[in-house]
Amino acid sequence: MRRSDKYRFLVILAGLVVLQFSVRPRLGDDRIAPDFMLLALLIYTIRAQPGRSAGAGFLVGLLRDALTPASFGSGALAHTVVGYLSAWSKAVFFAENLFVNGCLFFAGTWLRNLIVAVFSGKVKGGMLGWELLVWSPIQSLTTALVGVVVLWMFRRELAIRLGDA
Amino acid sequence: MALGADRYASRAGTLLFVACVALSFAAMSLPDRVRDPLARLLRQTVLAPLLALQEQSQLLAASLSRYETVVAERDSAALSATFLPELRSENARLRALLGLGQRLGGGYAAAEVLHQSTPTSALGLVVSAGRRQGVRPLNGVVSPEGLVGIVSAVDDRTSVVVTWAYPEFRASAMAADGSVYGIVAPHGTEGPRTWLLELRGVPYRQLVPNGTLILTSGLGGVFPRGIPLGTVVGVAGEAAGWERTYLLRPAVHPAGVSHVMILTAPRSGGGGGGDVRSAFESAGERP
Repeated sequence: MRRSDKYRFLVILAGLVVLQFSVRPRLGDDRIAPDFMLLALLIYTIRAQPGRSAGAGFLVGLLRDALTPASFGSGALAHTVVGYLSAWSKAVFFAENLFVNGCLFFAGTWLRNLIVAVFSGKVKGGMLGWELLVWSPIQSLTTALVGVVVLWMFRRELAIRLGDA
Repeated sequence: MALGADRYASRAGTLLFVACVALSFAAMSLPDRVRDPLARLLRQTVLAPLLALQEQSQLLAASLSRYETVVAERDSAALSATFLPELRSENARLRALLGLGQRLGGGYAAAEVLHQSTPTSALGLVVSAGRRQGVRPLNGVVSPEGLVGIVSAVDDRTSVVVTWAYPEFRASAMAADGSVYGIVAPHGTEGPRTWLLELRGVPYRQLVPNGTLILTSGLGGVFPRGIPLGTVVGVAGEAAGWERTYLLRPAVHPAGVSHVMILTAPRSGGGGGGDVRSAFESAGERP
């Protein structure tokens, strides 16, 4: 990757983080609005090695945990696992296809919510069911849709060959 | 084209992953006295500009919303001014629109709720007022509808609020007429009654009819007397004929709150005797 491409890649990730704190609060219900920060992590894992992806996931999760003290540590664990698995999945299973990447974003968001919900110990019973079967799939879907749009718009900057499936 | 797995296979990467997982479990097991300063440090350093951005964004959204309201009110006022006999009633209506803050008279800090996107976000909120605004731990947090929660940690510009939905939340409560006292706690996360409160410890012989408004009692000195907690909707259970537990429909849902007021000053003494009930009764009469 050329150095200019690398900078563009970082700018896109930074832009997603800014969107998380500027636009997302105005998109309605927290439980279903797309998670731009997780999306930035998943896009990073598309090109990064699993170890680095896990490290990035840990840092992102720790920052999220600082904002939701009710589940401190579970966010770090969730983002670490999602980052690592996403990078491995990309390497082992996935071709560079827009739909497949969308599925990756969907699964990553749902898995993140599953791990946070389970390991926080605060979400149980019916509340856990609603979270995993209703709210998480909707949030995963919105995140995946935004992710697909981002990949399509910035396919050159992200150096993703979407037609190579 | 898929990338080769062998190209990604790296012992260092695997070790890094294992280390991150181990650190995550360590973070989960941290005691509050270590966890809170760490979270505060992150909020005051790396996250500070991002939280400021979120606060500004929500202020902008609120400003746009208020602008439309102000324009509508101005138009209404202009229309009413053309009908002098109706000016007095219009004035009364506008007075009724005055916020809870004016009725409280002072001793509060207004704050925006900085909602996050995790399943537990309704259990604990970050709000945009902190030590600089006079917020202290254990300050009560209210909205015009009733009690939202209690401040658990305070930074310079932000605070963490534990809402009534948090499993360990408790508040001393009473019926609006003072006939019944008990402890209000979240009902739990099981079954279809999730996100309800329950009033515990009510003597068996004291019946609380459905629809009874339950307020904070002021006992314990944490919350002022008279903040609405919820309305009785039924009996949750009985304990061997000596006490009943009642289900309450909460006065306010944390996930739906965008702005709150943090009660920063003690409200004992004075004409109201620390009772803020009248402020919330007025709020309920708004058009």
